Amino acid sequence: MDVETVKERAGPREFSPKDDLPEEYRKAATRMIQFHANSEIMGAYLERPFIRQAPSLDRKLAFSAKVQDEIGHGQLLYRAAESLGIKSREEMLDELANGEGKFLNCFHYPMESWAEVPMIAFFVDGAAMRRQATLKRTSWEPYAHAMDKVCFEEGFHVKHGEDVMRELATGSKKEQQMLQDAFEQWWPRIIQFFGPTDDQSTHHDFSADVGLKTMTNDELRNAFLNAYVPKAQKYGLEIPDEPRIRDNGDGTYEVVEDDLDWEEFFTIAKNDAPGSHEQIGKRSRTQEAVEWVRSGLESWEHGEDTTAPQAAD
Amino acid sequence: MAAESDRLGGPAELADDERAAVEALLYRLADDELVLAERYTEWQVRAPTLESDLALANIAQDELGHARLWYDLLRDFGYDEADLIFERDPADFRHASLAELPFEDGDWADAVVRSYLYDVAEQLRLEALADASYPRIADRVGKIQSEEAYHREHAQNWLERLADDEASLKRLQAAVDRLFPHALALWEPSDHEETIEDLGLRTESLAAMREQWFDTVIPFLRSLGLEPPEGVRENPEAVRPATIGRDGDHTDDWDALHEEMTRTYRELGREEAHKIMPDPDEADA
Repeated sequence: MDVETVKERAGPREFSPKDDLPEEYRKAATRMIQFHANSEIMGAYLERPFIRQAPSLDRKLAFSAKVQDEIGHGQLLYRAAESLGIKSREEMLDELANGEGKFLNCFHYPMESWAEVPMIAFFVDGAAMRRQATLKRTSWEPYAHAMDKVCFEEGFHVKHGEDVMRELATGSKKEQQMLQDAFEQWWPRIIQFFGPTDDQSTHHDFSADVGLKTMTNDELRNAFLNAYVPKAQKYGLEIPDEPRIRDNGDGTYEVVEDDLDWEEFFTIAKNDAPGSHEQIGKRSRTQEAVEWVRSGLESWEHGEDTTAPQAAD
Repeated sequence: MAAESDRLGGPAELADDERAAVEALLYRLADDELVLAERYTEWQVRAPTLESDLALANIAQDELGHARLWYDLLRDFGYDEADLIFERDPADFRHASLAELPFEDGDWADAVVRSYLYDVAEQLRLEALADASYPRIADRVGKIQSEEAYHREHAQNWLERLADDEASLKRLQAAVDRLFPHALALWEPSDHEETIEDLGLRTESLAAMREQWFDTVIPFLRSLGLEPPEGVRENPEAVRPATIGRDGDHTDDWDALHEEMTRTYRELGREEAHKIMPDPDEADA
């Protein structure tokens, strides 16, 4: 199939491994899904300390399950990416550990305290949910299929994140203040989650033309702000003055781009911010430490774990 | 089955010494599960493969769930979760030292050996609780047992796989050398052991269970080319470590772990640990 045919046929779940697709499509899809899979793994690095630090046994259980789900999503997504025939899962995991793999901006900032937990578990996961819901209609069928399960589980995560936030927002003065401080620190990063406005985005056009992406960054950001600004206010959070966000009154917003630190954003995109080095360093150290296990297992070559019982869902 | 006349009543009907024995037994069970699970979660996002990450996370959550079931029975006596975990003096915890030892970076052999030694012990312990004279305990054994077979299978599979590789076998042996003595702590009595046995809270003695445990783990380890500490069976006391945990004497690693577990609770100035899941009694109903 040539690129023109791909563009003509492009639609929800249109293409599968049965199709003979041009390299340009397969590379674009790989880049997008690998980024997504990497983000699942790297998000889990931010959250894992809070399994231990959760303030109740029930929260600990829920948090352990959430981190496990994110790894499961990574597993599904690497499989969906692998099926494009460009890179093996092992190559993608190696790229992640050696700093070549890209992932979401928000996961380049380590978290220090429990008050930050809802910033990821509610806002960032909520933002991710918006994007992922649109990807159920992506043209690469294995990706769309993975989204069915991912979105189902993310729904629970966002509810849990909201509940953690509710607890803090209705807790002591100190808890409320810690939540507000965390919100002010994270809000610009969360807005940047959706990237720069469309005219600055480099990969969108082709991805949209071949049906990999179904909504623009601006549309996603608007949908997020429409849903989450009222939610933040409901929990008593004050929206920071900057970045300035103008409500156009028609369901759309305008974010004043100059109020956001794009230099930091693009440094992060190159995996070169201090937090990038810290988070990627964690990944590479922990993977290096268990390298002996993988190299001792013959079956590892094939990326299969044939004798260990499969974890129940 | 304990004879009807030997069965104890509910939490409010126990005599003081009966209640003390039930509590002592429950603390051992709950603390073992909580602390071991806490250590298992260290492997989340750090296990050798995505699949092994998911599997060990599953096991950690099972053990946390079991801890929850046992702590819930302590709540029958008026304690809340803050008393039982978050505000409890770390020196009052009664888990075996095996549960609290930290994992060295990347020491998956430790995770596998520890899980095996513990899960075989847990199987024996649960069998001896199935006919406990205290119905609240006996009633919860079945649910836990249903999850434990998977844990043993997981540990055994990994032991077999790693033992196949010469370099990995050496790492397993190092883990056996270090952990086997601490696993003996699982069978150390508490102050109330005599009452626990007399009341039939457990239908096997610790000494008898330890023999059964030896009968299982020693031949299996040997079949893989792994050697338990010399003379452990004839003279376990000589192998047992100085710090066993069961008596409240713990390693410094436990204090550090408890400090980290309770950090948020203290930082937020909380006075209670919030429940978000249904009470086990209601969930079962």
